[in-house]
Amino acid sequence: MWAVAKKEFRQYFLSPIGYIYIGVFLLMCSITFYTNIFLSQSTNFASIFSLGATVLTFLVPVLTMRTFAEERKNSTEVLILTSPTSVKAMVFGKFLAAGMVVLLSIACTFLYYVILSFFGEPAFSTSLVAMIGFALLSLAYVACGMFISSLTENQVVSAIISMIVFLVLSFLSDVWAGFDPFSIIDAFTTFESGLISVHDVVLLLSFTGFFIGMTVLVMNRRKYVK
Amino acid sequence: MIEIKNVTKKYGTFAAVNDISFDVKDHEIVGFLGPNGAGKSTTMNMITGFIEPTSGKIIVNGYDVSKAPNKAKMQIGYMPENVPLYNDLTVKEFVSYMCELRKVPKKDRDLQIRKIIKRAGLTEVQDKLIKHISKGYKQRTSLAGALVGEPDVLILDEPTVGLDPKQITEIRNLIKKLGENHTVILSSHILSEVSQICSRVVIINHGKIVAVDTPDNLESTSSEEDTILITVEDPDNKMSGIKSRIKACKEIKKIKELNDGTVQYRIVSSKDAEVNKELFEVLPKENITICELRKEQSSLEDAYLKIINEKDEEIAKEEKREKRERLARQRKLESMDLLERRRTIREEKRKRQDEIDKEFFDNLMEENKIREAKKKRRQLEKKNRKGDKK
Repeated sequence: MWAVAKKEFRQYFLSPIGYIYIGVFLLMCSITFYTNIFLSQSTNFASIFSLGATVLTFLVPVLTMRTFAEERKNSTEVLILTSPTSVKAMVFGKFLAAGMVVLLSIACTFLYYVILSFFGEPAFSTSLVAMIGFALLSLAYVACGMFISSLTENQVVSAIISMIVFLVLSFLSDVWAGFDPFSIIDAFTTFESGLISVHDVVLLLSFTGFFIGMTVLVMNRRKYVK
Repeated sequence: MIEIKNVTKKYGTFAAVNDISFDVKDHEIVGFLGPNGAGKSTTMNMITGFIEPTSGKIIVNGYDVSKAPNKAKMQIGYMPENVPLYNDLTVKEFVSYMCELRKVPKKDRDLQIRKIIKRAGLTEVQDKLIKHISKGYKQRTSLAGALVGEPDVLILDEPTVGLDPKQITEIRNLIKKLGENHTVILSSHILSEVSQICSRVVIINHGKIVAVDTPDNLESTSSEEDTILITVEDPDNKMSGIKSRIKACKEIKKIKELNDGTVQYRIVSSKDAEVNKELFEVLPKENITICELRKEQSSLEDAYLKIINEKDEEIAKEEKREKRERLARQRKLESMDLLERRRTIREEKRKRQDEIDKEFFDNLMEENKIREAKKKRRQLEKKNRKGDKK
């Protein structure tokens, strides 16, 4: 598992994708920091994630589109699948690598907290809760994007389908109120307000777990249908 | 040791590999031959556990590939076709990644990476990105990946495709050397390559094995006739009359007149008839001078083509027969009235269902038998163990 994770993580930074992800993410954070905190002279650190779900909708597909699609296209997956490394380890490794990039970008937002604490007294605990919530949300997105990447061998198709799925996810609770308890974005807004509820943690983690499991299933099935 | 038992791979109703069985002994180099789409790569992918057979068993060094995949995969080094590689890694990084994937212990890793890079002749390019190295080196890198973890079995899918003649010889020599302490299966289109390297050849066509033998045996069985190429100086044009004077000779055919006034003929005779001796005796008497005489070698290529063509004809015949039967049935149905037609169709369906049921029950009975035998053996073992304890 670590072998795959290490190599994938390195590959994110051998290609520009890792830098693009972190760069664009921090740019968006800077904009929200400027408009929501600096201009309105607020000390609510959590509000820099107010555009978070939208940013993830467009950024995460860029990160996850290559995970499986690229290997399938170059048929390099055969190297992993014919080695004693199991499919589970491969999927977890890839998830870990993409997850590490995402977590790294979130860790960078701690800088904004440091800047903010020069000018005011932001509440540390609520800021931390917001960061944890956003990390869980991002990992859920990564798992979903990775699953979609495992379905196709075309990276562009994978990215576009992921974006559509993420858009639908963010609109669904507006269209149909019955979806609310299952909306991962609503779950994140609770974190944003500084609350950790068991329901939300379980929802986000099970969403992530579900898609990792589905990816393992898809990869296992490839053995029979290829 | 690789055992392949009744392996079938179906895609829908199309059987890419159809009920093949063969063994590969330890430290043997086996060549896998067949036209494109014959099922070579599918078979190799099944041996390496990349795809799962629809039915049948593959056992590598005692490990069943479907049941103990990780242990079986530890035994196998695989060089897939079209050499898939990670282009943005360097050669050394790639080999080291393969070491991690193949679970080489950390303390042996450095030494093994160095050894494999040296063995595959990659020392010069080890720090270059894979996308920047030549095709020959890419092929070697892929082979190096297969050598990682010192597996007993090497499976090489078209290892020399797309290389220049010098590189081909180099890779071939490398494979020959590897064959001294590895079991190797390699597939190839180049027949001379197979006859040079391999100790045994498996020819496969339309998903079925059509021949398993040594290259020499295949070559000798392919022809029932000997052919001699002879170049003569024949001022009186007597060569065409020679046929009647040599008994074993079946045919004399003029091939071409050469620039220096000599003429080349092909002489076909029955097998092992030793026509050369007679030619040397008879021709000088007729005032014909022999400039050159040589036996035309029947090659593995002939054997291969012959076997493949036979199989193709067989399949074509089968298809024709099926078509004829279908047409006959249709005509028969058309000649009946509606009620009769319905009854016939119903009966046909019932017959087919009966056949399927019978097969199913037979299988079930067999499985039961095996299960009971296993149970008995287990009980016996238990008893024995108890006896030991006492």
